[in-house]
Amino acid sequence: MTTTSRPQGIHALRRPRGLGQDGVFRLTLRVVAVLIVIPVLWMMVDTFAETVPVWERFGIPGFVTGLRWAPSFTIYGALPFIYGTLLTSAIAMVIAVPVAVLIALLITEILPPRARTWVAVAVDLLAAIPSVVYGLWGLLVLVPVLRPFEQAVAGTAGKVVPFLAGPTPGPSYFAAGVVVSIMIIPIIAALSREVFAATPRLQREAVRALGGTRWDVIRTVVIPLGRSGVLAAIILGLARAIGETIAVTMVIGNAPKIGASIFSPGFTLASVIANEFNEANQELHPEALIALGLVLLVISVLVNGLAILIRQRFARGVGRVV
Amino acid sequence: MSSSALAVSDRLRATSRARHAKDRALMVLAWAALVVAVVPLVAIAWFLVEQGVRSISLEFFTSDPPGDLSASGGGIRNAVVGTLLMTGLATLIAVPAGIALAVFAREIGGRVAGSVRFVVDVLAGLPSIVVGIFVYSLVVVTTGHFSGLAGAVALAVIELPVIVVASDELLRLTDRRIDEGTRALGMLRWRSFLSVFIPTALSGIITGVLLAVSRAIGETAPLIFTALGNNFFTLDMNEPVQAMPLLIYRNALNSAFPAARDRAMGTALVLVVIVLAFNLMGRWIARRARPADQR
Repeated sequence: MTTTSRPQGIHALRRPRGLGQDGVFRLTLRVVAVLIVIPVLWMMVDTFAETVPVWERFGIPGFVTGLRWAPSFTIYGALPFIYGTLLTSAIAMVIAVPVAVLIALLITEILPPRARTWVAVAVDLLAAIPSVVYGLWGLLVLVPVLRPFEQAVAGTAGKVVPFLAGPTPGPSYFAAGVVVSIMIIPIIAALSREVFAATPRLQREAVRALGGTRWDVIRTVVIPLGRSGVLAAIILGLARAIGETIAVTMVIGNAPKIGASIFSPGFTLASVIANEFNEANQELHPEALIALGLVLLVISVLVNGLAILIRQRFARGVGRVV
Repeated sequence: MSSSALAVSDRLRATSRARHAKDRALMVLAWAALVVAVVPLVAIAWFLVEQGVRSISLEFFTSDPPGDLSASGGGIRNAVVGTLLMTGLATLIAVPAGIALAVFAREIGGRVAGSVRFVVDVLAGLPSIVVGIFVYSLVVVTTGHFSGLAGAVALAVIELPVIVVASDELLRLTDRRIDEGTRALGMLRWRSFLSVFIPTALSGIITGVLLAVSRAIGETAPLIFTALGNNFFTLDMNEPVQAMPLLIYRNALNSAFPAARDRAMGTALVLVVIVLAFNLMGRWIARRARPADQR
């Protein structure tokens, strides 16, 4: 029992010989992570490799800005589909953003707590319905229902503005935009709801104590504090709209050219791939479709990146999309 | 003096009236927005039940579709079995992989974990059709043919980020005192995860898995490039396999034929019931696990 004796037992505990059980644990985790991440990265590289003949033949700018898509002549240009993707997403956003933000406000600011959960669940259920079911419903129910409206617009405003002109065959950019808007409302609403719910209660109560209405609370507290979070939610909704495939394929009319009117049939990037891939047997046709997939990938990574950036910089409170 | 006070009070009353008018306008708009969102939900439910129930019978689940889409009769046995097989296999791949990635991100930390989280975020944001193309390049081109296995891999890639994000968030929320407690007891880390952290987060992880499954079951786009679909019954995952969403899609495209139309709607009803069952089960478990005051 002298002061020079070393606590051998504890020392041995702290520095196990070799890897030790936890060393094996960490090593296993690393190996598993590598085993998962490498194939994911590999398939991205692999996909790019598939499309090399397309880039060699048309060049990146040539392919992206090409106006003509004619597989039987081995001519492939992506512009009609980029246009379709942007137009349907824009239509969807114009409809979905105000509706979704208002629903989020309704749930967090207006409804009594008991009703909140039920309304929130009902809206969330819209997000659970598979894309193909939206497409089926859109094709058989919504497209015929929208037609009188389309004809009315084409018959009045459409006489002046070619962008709104007829004919109105039914399946169109517009129909696709409406279906997509229904699909992204729950996404934007759910994320905005989280943002609004994070508003400090004291600030709300302060405005109410000063005699403010609910509108005053929203105007002076909820919106200013939640602005960037809602922006992130909107951009994530946009990312969803851009990538939406099957429902769009079923209601957009499938025409590989730029339609002059929003009531014309067209194609988006995702829908042309889904529609033509299984029958692609012309020269370079499958490769060109995969190249369209890469264009779609780049657009959606940029949009998602923007949302992540906004969230990281301004709105730490918003959860990641599940 | 009193007249100016009156003027002020008049002005206050006027702005107050304007503010209350705006408040009421907001109410009306907000309720209108809810109606706009809920009408499609009710319409789709009504459409599926009214049009879909007709097709449902015992034969619908016990026989395979006729080779010709326009012919009536037959069922969707091959699609139901194909969906269950592929989603099941996908879940078997994605659950351990997802939990391992989340544990990795939490336990190892640092820049490597950051990049794993980045890859997962990118995956979560990918359109499902792009996932389909990726898996096509990786599996279908490599093996030389479409297969149920490729379909399962694609669905696993779709499930993976959902499971990682749910598990990661939950492991991060594990109470710091519990963490310190396990360290104070001298527990080995793998023991802490296996016996303490993961069980604590389990109900949340199960919720994440159920939501991931409910998403994967309804996916169509990635299967076009991988499982392809098949008119025959098969249990061989090395062959093209049919799935319910694929069957709905192909029949809907031929909805001019009443038989194809009915088959699509019947299958859609079955699919939605299955998807909602998983989804609601997940939410229910999440709700039960939360403390009563946060429900």
